[in-house]
Amino acid sequence: MKVALESYGGLAAAAGLRRPPKVLDTTALPAAAAAELARLLAAAAATPPEEPDGRARDAMSYTVTAQDGDRVTVLEQSDAAMTPAFADLLTWLRKHHAQQ
Amino acid sequence: MSGTRPINCIIPPYILDKLLDSENSEVRQAALDTMLLTARLRGERAIRSSFTGAAAPGDGRRTVFDCEQEEFLRNAVLARPEDGPESTDPAVNRAFDALGLTRDFYKEVFQRNSVDGQGMRLDGYVHFGFKVNNAFWDGRQMLFGDGDGQEFSNLTGSLEVISHELTHGVTDHTSGFVYHNQSGALNESMSDVFGSLVKQWSLKQRAEEADWLIGADVWTPGIGGDALRSMKDPGRAYNNPQFGKDPQPDRMSRFIHLPDTKRGDFGGVHFNSGIPNKAFYLTAVRIGGFAWEAAGTIWYEALKASSAEDQFQDFATTTFQKAGELFGAGGPEQAAVLSAWQEVEVPIRGVPTGVARIRSFAANGSGGAGREDGLAALARQIGTLNDKVTQLAKDVAELKGTR
Ligand SMILES: [Zn+2]
Repeated sequence: MKVALESYGGLAAAAGLRRPPKVLDTTALPAAAAAELARLLAAAAATPPEEPDGRARDAMSYTVTAQDGDRVTVLEQSDAAMTPAFADLLTWLRKHHAQQ
Repeated sequence: MSGTRPINCIIPPYILDKLLDSENSEVRQAALDTMLLTARLRGERAIRSSFTGAAAPGDGRRTVFDCEQEEFLRNAVLARPEDGPESTDPAVNRAFDALGLTRDFYKEVFQRNSVDGQGMRLDGYVHFGFKVNNAFWDGRQMLFGDGDGQEFSNLTGSLEVISHELTHGVTDHTSGFVYHNQSGALNESMSDVFGSLVKQWSLKQRAEEADWLIGADVWTPGIGGDALRSMKDPGRAYNNPQFGKDPQPDRMSRFIHLPDTKRGDFGGVHFNSGIPNKAFYLTAVRIGGFAWEAAGTIWYEALKASSAEDQFQDFATTTFQKAGELFGAGGPEQAAVLSAWQEVEVPIRGVPTGVARIRSFAANGSGGAGREDGLAALARQIGTLNDKVTQLAKDVAELKGTR
C-alpha cells in the first residue's frame, strides 16, 4: 500500500504550493509498523470529519491518499477541525517522515 | 418589509438628484461611485452591529496553554495565566509577551480594547501538534506549531506572526473581509500590516528604518536573510531550491488568479495580499515617521469602515477618503495614499487617472503643486456627499426604529 500525505494552505500557503507530497510504501515498513498504519487509516476513514465553521484563518489542510491495489482512500481534514483519529494518523505520518 | 433592504433601495433617487446637480462629468461619476460605496458600507455596518453578541469581559486577559504536541485543545495544559509567574518554557513566554504587545498596541495606538473592542480574552496555544509548520487563528484563539526546523522554527519566535494571527480576530470583528479572492487578500494584508506595525511600534522604528518583513525570524531557519513575505518588496522575500521563489505580486498587472479552493489558497489570499501590502508600505514611507501614526490610523479607520465583500478598489477608495477626513483633503497624507495605490495599479474611485498621476508626481517630490487645488476641491466634494449619505442612512435607521 502507498500512502501519500499532502499539506497545503496555512500561513505559508504561497510557498506551500511547491511542497511535494510525502509518500511511503508499506512494503518497506516493518510488519508491526505497517499494521499500525493500516489500523490508523481504518480508524480515520471510519470517523466522519468535523465540519469546519469557516472562521479559521491560516489553517493548514491535509490530504492523505492511501492506494492499495485498485482501492483508493482519500481523507482530507484541516488544522482547525480535525478528528482525533485523523490527528493520530497525521502524527504517525509526520513522525515517520521526520525520521527519513 | 425586510430589515436590510430599505437603506440600499432608498439611495438611488438621491444619487440621481445629486448627479443632475453637477456640471462636471468626472465629479458626477466620482459622486456616484463614492455614494454607492458609502451607502453600502453604512448599511452593512448598521446590520452587522445589530448582530453583535454579548461582550466578552476581561480587558484582553492572556492565557497561554501547552498542547504538548497534540492537536486537542481540551487536553492542553494551562501554562501561564495573566497573573501567573514566568514559565520555564520560552515558547510559552514568547507567546505571552507577544499577545501582550499586540493587545497594548491596539489599546495605546487605536484605543481598541482587545480583538473585539470589548476586552475579549486572549488565549494562545503553543506546541500545537507534532512539528507543525504553521500558526493560525481558529476563530477564537491562536495556535502555534513548533515547526519542523527546516521550513519553520518554533512559530512563537516571531512577534509579527503572532500579531498577524491576532489581527485576523480584529478583522473578523470589524470589516469581516470574506476569506476568498480579493476580500480575502485584503484580510491577509490587514494581518501583515498591523502585524508589522506591532513590531515597529515595539521597537519604536520609523517607517524607513523598519525591515517590513513577515516571519524573518522563523522562516527557513537554515537560510539567513529571507522571510515569509516582504511588504516592501513582494515577490522577493525568499528564493531557495526547496520552496522556490516568493510568488507574491506587487501590482495589479501581476495579480495571480487561483481557484477559490483550499488548494488554491481560496483564490490566492496569501499571494495577492502583496498588492495591498505594498500600497501600505509606500504610503507609510512617503508620509514618513512612525508608520502606525498616520498611515496606520488611515488603514485602521478604513478597516473599520469597510464591508465584508470589498475589493481592492473599494478599500483603496476608503483609505483615500479616510486620509482626507483625518488629515485634510488634498494634503500630503492623502497624496501619499493616492500615489501608493496608483503605483500598485489600483485606481481610486472618483479620482480621474490624470489627477492621480499628477498627484503621484507630487507625492514623489517631482512637483505638481499647481494641481493640488483641483484635487482638494474634488476630495472635498466627495467628502460633502459622503456626509450627506451618512446622514441619510442615519435618518433611514431612525425611521426604521420608530416603526
Ligand atoms: Zn493570515
